[in-house]
Amino acid sequence: MSVGRVVATERRPNTPHEFHFWTALDAPVGIGTIVRVEGPATGDGRLVSVYGVVVEGFSYTDLQTPLHDVIGADGDPERALRAPTDRTEIRLYTAHSLRHVPDEPLQPVPMGIVHLATDDDVAVALRMDGYLKEGQRTGIPIGVYRSGAMQSPVYLDADFLLGPEAAHLNISGVSGLATKTSAVEWLLSSIFAHFPEQKGSVAAVCFNVKGPDLCFLDLPAEKLDEADRALYDAVGVPAEPFRDVEYYAPWTARGHALATLRTNEALSHNVFPLSWGLREVLQYAEVLLNKDDIDAKADALIDFIRERVVNQEFSDSLLDRVHTVRSFSDLEQWFRDVLRAMEGRNAETWRTHHVATIRKVRNRLTNISTRCRGLVTDDGTSNDLPFGAFRDRAVYVIDVASSEEDAQDLIFARVVSQLREQLERRTLGVDHVVVFVDELNKYAPSDGPDTYVRQMLLDIAERGRYLGLVLFAAQQFRSQVHRRVVGNCGTALFGRMDLEELATPGYATLAPATRIKLSTLDKGQLMVRHPHFAQPVFVRFPRPAVLSGREGVERFPAEPEPSLESAVTRSLRKLDPSVTLEWVKQATVAASEDDVLRARNRTLQARPDDVKAYFRAQFRGRAASEAIPSRPAPLPLAGADSNDPYAF
Amino acid sequence: MRDALRALRGAGAALTASEPALELRPVVAEPPRLQRAEPLEGDAVRGRIVDGEPIAGFVAFLDGIQESRVLAHWPGGIPLVHGTVAATVRRRRDRTLVAWRDDATRVARTLFVPRAAIGEAAWTAIERECAVRDTLEPGESGPWHPQELTSRALSAVQRRREEAETACAALWCADGDGPLLVDGGIASAGSAAHSPLAIGVVKSHRTLYVDGDALPLVLGLRAGERTTAFTVKSPRRAPVASWYLRLRDAASHDALWGLVRVEVALDGASSARADEVSRWLLAERSPVSLPDPRWGAMAYGVRLTEEYLRAITR
Repeated sequence: MSVGRVVATERRPNTPHEFHFWTALDAPVGIGTIVRVEGPATGDGRLVSVYGVVVEGFSYTDLQTPLHDVIGADGDPERALRAPTDRTEIRLYTAHSLRHVPDEPLQPVPMGIVHLATDDDVAVALRMDGYLKEGQRTGIPIGVYRSGAMQSPVYLDADFLLGPEAAHLNISGVSGLATKTSAVEWLLSSIFAHFPEQKGSVAAVCFNVKGPDLCFLDLPAEKLDEADRALYDAVGVPAEPFRDVEYYAPWTARGHALATLRTNEALSHNVFPLSWGLREVLQYAEVLLNKDDIDAKADALIDFIRERVVNQEFSDSLLDRVHTVRSFSDLEQWFRDVLRAMEGRNAETWRTHHVATIRKVRNRLTNISTRCRGLVTDDGTSNDLPFGAFRDRAVYVIDVASSEEDAQDLIFARVVSQLREQLERRTLGVDHVVVFVDELNKYAPSDGPDTYVRQMLLDIAERGRYLGLVLFAAQQFRSQVHRRVVGNCGTALFGRMDLEELATPGYATLAPATRIKLSTLDKGQLMVRHPHFAQPVFVRFPRPAVLSGREGVERFPAEPEPSLESAVTRSLRKLDPSVTLEWVKQATVAASEDDVLRARNRTLQARPDDVKAYFRAQFRGRAASEAIPSRPAPLPLAGADSNDPYAF
Repeated sequence: MRDALRALRGAGAALTASEPALELRPVVAEPPRLQRAEPLEGDAVRGRIVDGEPIAGFVAFLDGIQESRVLAHWPGGIPLVHGTVAATVRRRRDRTLVAWRDDATRVARTLFVPRAAIGEAAWTAIERECAVRDTLEPGESGPWHPQELTSRALSAVQRRREEAETACAALWCADGDGPLLVDGGIASAGSAAHSPLAIGVVKSHRTLYVDGDALPLVLGLRAGERTTAFTVKSPRRAPVASWYLRLRDAASHDALWGLVRVEVALDGASSARADEVSRWLLAERSPVSLPDPRWGAMAYGVRLTEEYLRAITR
């Protein structure tokens, strides 16, 4: 369908990369419309086609000054409306070239007829024809490009989204407009449906950093209308929730329940604790210690503890006993013993470590279990993600929304490091992992101190694509994220943007009208930049086919933190449905709360065949060694002697 | 134009540097004059307020343009003039002007040459390359003042333009479906002079069709007022009914600013017809035709038609 004609003037010439065209006033052309220009045949008979995307629109009349309109209407706007002839008006558009066919020689856009792009044109314009060939398809639908009644699927290239050619995806958009989280949920569905078989397996690890956003990915959406379903059909993605989802969350500070909004009993079957002991944490102690904490001396002592003390017998002639440090409480006893020994000898150093350094490191390390209570256990028990047994097309949600900042950093650092190490060794269970992080400006800010987490994000962004470790990150303000992190994201999505953000230099390459459009995008609309697309394009995507966080917490309200016995019963029932509250009460009647929680954690970690026996066994050794001391017999009451006149 | 240049170069003419259009040069026009006209509405020319509110009535606009340039000089200072003339009818549909039909747009590009002055050989050479017209009468012989030859060429171009306009007007009068606003008079426009569909609007007033007593009345008309109708007769033109209509108050302009003379076919002319046509014309004051300097008397539809012709001839 021809809609316009290319024009150029000396003042506003066309170039190979930009051209102008006019259309009828009612032509279905707007900012973001993809068009095809058919130029006249060249001297050697070649037909040149140029594809472009509209980035700017102008409208004006032959009116030289607004005053003339006032004069013509005698100052009466109503009269202007009654004029028998409308002023001649022009719709003039500026488009940026997406592709020239043939590519060479690259010449200014010819004065041709402008057509609305068809499905095939869209594929050619966005160079999707290169990766949508039968047998070599690597296209991942990101949405549909819509123009009038036509909607064309737009695909990203898996090789450039999940590696190895390029990788990573960054999403920007204002909060609350169902853009960032929804887009990622939709895109993960799309990846799971279309990830090419020849590229292997893929899983996703999503960090839920606020509210219940990602807590109901395995439940179907309530509000999926016909238009959404049509979009799903158009791109060949099943409109259904994720089939394989596991949720992980640290314990609450009391330890009775998991710190997540997905605590409803009906949904507890795939919610698992995330807790780490000393061994897991010490490896990432740097995450929790700032630069002032870790000087060379402290670093040396931490290394010493990590290599010589933890998880092995440690003896020293000065110490009272042989220590086997497996938990934070063991470590605290070790520190006490060392410091006592030094004080006893009035020594300032022990094994070249100064007493001040020892005290400092003791303080910083032993309070980790306090700072990260619920995540870090004193007793060394650990419940972790199934590293080594990741499943294809599975989603692992780690709910850190209720965790303190330190704990969030620790979780993020350790999980991502484990993913990287296991992907390097090819032992993770899948070939590719998408890691979704929201609020990237918090973890990888453009300014502020250089943190361990930021370094790690930089490392993923720069090298992750070779490993299959792919970062999907979102934030409200892209300008506030480290340049190298966003710069290494091959694909960028933009939802509705804040005008102030759009005024930052990062958006200077966009035409003013495109920026304005970005600031007024509807829900479900995105601007997409992808290595194959010469210019950003606008697409629509459907609502995610999963239950939204807000609806989820209404349908499955979080349950209040239960009593100790109820919490243990609920946890053990997942392993053995025959466990009852009565049985737990009897089994734990003589145990302290800490012991009960420790027994529960160890049972959950071990996942034994005989859950009851294993759980009971956790109390035996302690009951023997920590027998309650017998109290002294009470003295007999005075006054028994009837001869004593003062007796009672 | 390119054909004409090639032809002239081939014939051995000395091409000129780019010169302004002849239409922009000062010309010696006929002197302004007053000419009494026979009253048609009543027994004398009087002023009156147009009866009724302005209302859109025209469904089409006719205009023509011309542009002439001296392209080359033949030895002896003989100017060789290239003239472009165009005329069209633009129909109004949904408050927008669109092409009416293909044959209602006439464009002609012609070289105007004094044949006897350049000789047969050169004439033949030029004629092979482009359309050419002789500006001399058969049998005329020189010598000629160069400016006289230029004036003759200009007159020839003007005649061609009038022919194109007349042809377009004839088409509308035969097949049109409503009132046509003709920019200029209709008295010399062939069948249009007798058609109820053609309404001529004359903006220039070198001849004022009033005698001395009525002159102050015409010049003193206020916006929305007209004179009573009178008959305009000329030896070489058809008689038409005419009246003066003030579109805009002269205010700080000269007394003729904002004044038009309307021409309609004599047959059917009446007071009611004059009021009806005047109401149509008053409605055409908006949108204003600025920045055209003639905007005080020019309908916007005529300006658009003129712009259209310029766009297709440049």
